[in-house]
Amino acid sequence: MFRHVDFAATWGRLSETVKKVISAQPLERTVWNERFSDVYSICIGNPETLNEKLYEETKNLLCGHVNELYENVPTADGELLSTYSKYWLTYSKGATYLDLLYHHFNTQYVKKSHPYQADFEYGFALDHKEQMLEIGELALECWKNVMIEPLKERLVQHALNEISNDRKGMTSRSHEVNTTVISFVTVEQYKKKSPLQFYETLFEEPFLQQTGDFYRAKANDLLVDSTCSDYMKQVLLLLTEEEMRSRKFLHQSSYKKATLECQQRVIFDHVQFLQAGCRLMIRHDRREDLLHMYMLLKSAPDGLDNMVTELEAHIKEVGLDQIKAMHGANNPMQFVETILDIHRKFYELIHKLFRDDKHFVAALDRACTAIVNFSDAKQPCRAPELVCKYCDTILRKCSKGPTEEADDKLKNSIRVFRYIDDKDVFQKFYSRALAKRLIHSTCVMDMEEQMINRFKDVCGYDFTSKLHCMFTDIRLSAEHTKKFHDSLVQSGDQISPTLNANILQAGAWPLNSTQSNFIPPEALIKCIKRFEEFYSAQYNGRNLTWLQHLSQGEVKMYTATKPYFITLSTYQLAVVLLFNDAVEMTLSDITTSTNLEGVELERCVQSLIESGIILNKEKQKLSPDTVLSFNESFTNKRTRFKISLAPTQREQVAEAQQTRSSVDEDRKLYLQAAIVRVIKARKVLNHNALIEVVITQSRLHFTPSISAIKRSIESLIEKGYIERSADTPDQYRYLA
Amino acid sequence: MSATVSEKGDAPAGKQPDQLFTLKRWNAVAVWSWDVECDTCAICRVQVMDACLRCQADNKQEGCVVVWGECNHSFHNCCMSLWVEQNNRCPLCQKEWVIQGTGK
Repeated sequence: MFRHVDFAATWGRLSETVKKVISAQPLERTVWNERFSDVYSICIGNPETLNEKLYEETKNLLCGHVNELYENVPTADGELLSTYSKYWLTYSKGATYLDLLYHHFNTQYVKKSHPYQADFEYGFALDHKEQMLEIGELALECWKNVMIEPLKERLVQHALNEISNDRKGMTSRSHEVNTTVISFVTVEQYKKKSPLQFYETLFEEPFLQQTGDFYRAKANDLLVDSTCSDYMKQVLLLLTEEEMRSRKFLHQSSYKKATLECQQRVIFDHVQFLQAGCRLMIRHDRREDLLHMYMLLKSAPDGLDNMVTELEAHIKEVGLDQIKAMHGANNPMQFVETILDIHRKFYELIHKLFRDDKHFVAALDRACTAIVNFSDAKQPCRAPELVCKYCDTILRKCSKGPTEEADDKLKNSIRVFRYIDDKDVFQKFYSRALAKRLIHSTCVMDMEEQMINRFKDVCGYDFTSKLHCMFTDIRLSAEHTKKFHDSLVQSGDQISPTLNANILQAGAWPLNSTQSNFIPPEALIKCIKRFEEFYSAQYNGRNLTWLQHLSQGEVKMYTATKPYFITLSTYQLAVVLLFNDAVEMTLSDITTSTNLEGVELERCVQSLIESGIILNKEKQKLSPDTVLSFNESFTNKRTRFKISLAPTQREQVAEAQQTRSSVDEDRKLYLQAAIVRVIKARKVLNHNALIEVVITQSRLHFTPSISAIKRSIESLIEKGYIERSADTPDQYRYLA
Repeated sequence: MSATVSEKGDAPAGKQPDQLFTLKRWNAVAVWSWDVECDTCAICRVQVMDACLRCQADNKQEGCVVVWGECNHSFHNCCMSLWVEQNNRCPLCQKEWVIQGTGK
């Protein structure tokens, strides 16, 4: 089947063409096609395989050709790179065509002589003495051995010189350098194993070395006579230039390395110098410098740590200064808005300069937490109370008409709320304030609910369940009241006054139930009775307790000039109604009719005297014998007004204290519950692990002190829930 | 929330009515609690005003009501209905458990 092939003749024809192809000379298509089939016929030639011979001949031819070119490379330095790259471009192009011409040879012969890929991977064919190369590869190999090897020192030196010139701002033959550099990569690119190795050792290493040396010197030069700010500007410029330069001269695998080397010399080596300037820049808000600093240091390992710490310290300092300047004043607006201002200012800085870098955002959070939770040794932290009052003030104002501005303020207050450590204290204060707003209807239900949902988003359902419960009570109460009035209409009864009953679930509301023997006026007793009948028909087994000290009423007062509508507390109301039947009376008369006495009575009467409705003729200090009378000549600009029983300063303080002590009690129980839960689940646990778990569990509500946890552990041991292990003293064991 | 007062029936201005003060509206506050002798449920040891432990855990606070027996002892209805499956006696007085009523 095999055809006899006259190798000498065929090769004679072929070699001519090869020479033409390799020097990228024009070739006619017919000739190309004929040579293509010549290669083919040699491949399938007679039994005596001619393949190896062809391979050898081709190799010799190529080496000879390259050698010829090499001989022509001028010894003169100026021409070296241009000649080399000119030859290379032609040759590499030719090599690609040659590879195509030998296509059949490559696929039928060379590929088959290769060990299987799998063998190669499994390490069977590692020491294949000299692997056959495809013709294109062979051409590259020849180039490498015959051209690059003898010239390499000169080539590299010239390339580096050109790059160095470019750095110094002189014109350079960037294109030729690039071609040369890329040729180092190309000649070994076909290799499966570490194709870049040749390039890396030959060129990249000395290049990086030179780059390092250059920038080390450059940095030292700059440092001699520039400030931190100038240095940074210069360095940023250098870095950008170098980045452009590496794209101009290098292979892409080196871009990153070159940049890194450069950064190493101008940034990392001088991190301390840069960081030293940082504090002042932050203090003086030198934004441009800070931006530069961030851009430089973010690439350094841990480079930003110092900046982050400095910024945190600065924010903390600024914030604490402002908070301390308030001297613990009871000014919720100022407190919350100061903190929001600080947050806004620095958040904007971090957003603009540091692109919301999470390290800086975390630093801002840490600093704000420290500011918000600041407390001097004497007082507990005021933040929960103040933020709560802030919300209260805004929400109350909204009852006269909600505004978008108010809503924004509330939204922002959540930001401060997040920073509060003692969220449980906040919750207590908030629920008290909410209770007052709900009972006195000084609120907008939608906004209140939105607010509660915001707390829920931060702290979870547990935190707001009682608040929700209060909410439901008020909604139900409105329904009750409506049904009650409907039932009155049905039965045809008239009842005065118009009742609005808030029926609250005991336990869910933070109300102080004061025991008093107050006797309500006749009209109210009737009203109460009627409602209780109605209520017990609706529900089974419920007892109602009326909280008169929280109730309010409206009376119409007739005077000689005009009628007034006055809103009063139930106690005040009981007192003024007495004047329907008597012109004047003593304090002890009032006590007889209403059972009000002591401070309660005095406060009530005092408020009425201050409003001008009632006169104390003797103008002396109130005593049981003081005679009171109705003020016939009372006038007021407004027809509708309210006489409030403002809680005294002392009462407010007492209430705050009471709130705090109830928090302490709750915390004790919370900690004990947490400890029992944890130990029950683990059976045995050592001291440190227990404390850690308990702290993590309670973080959402408050930050417990270690001593408080220890006290709780002690009391649980006393109560027999847990015990110390007999053999290891710092271990606790659950007692079933 | 409050019903508005109709002012039609008021005495016309200028004419002095019999009374100086008339009560128009009353915004009252009351708390309700279960009518029980002991405010802790003897079965789950939680106050009867709060939901029982199971309902708290399942987040079903709304529907957890109280049940009274003929013996006048009271418990969470959920707690008691589990209890009677095993022993149809009141856990406190051992009398046979007969429901007097449930709260609502």
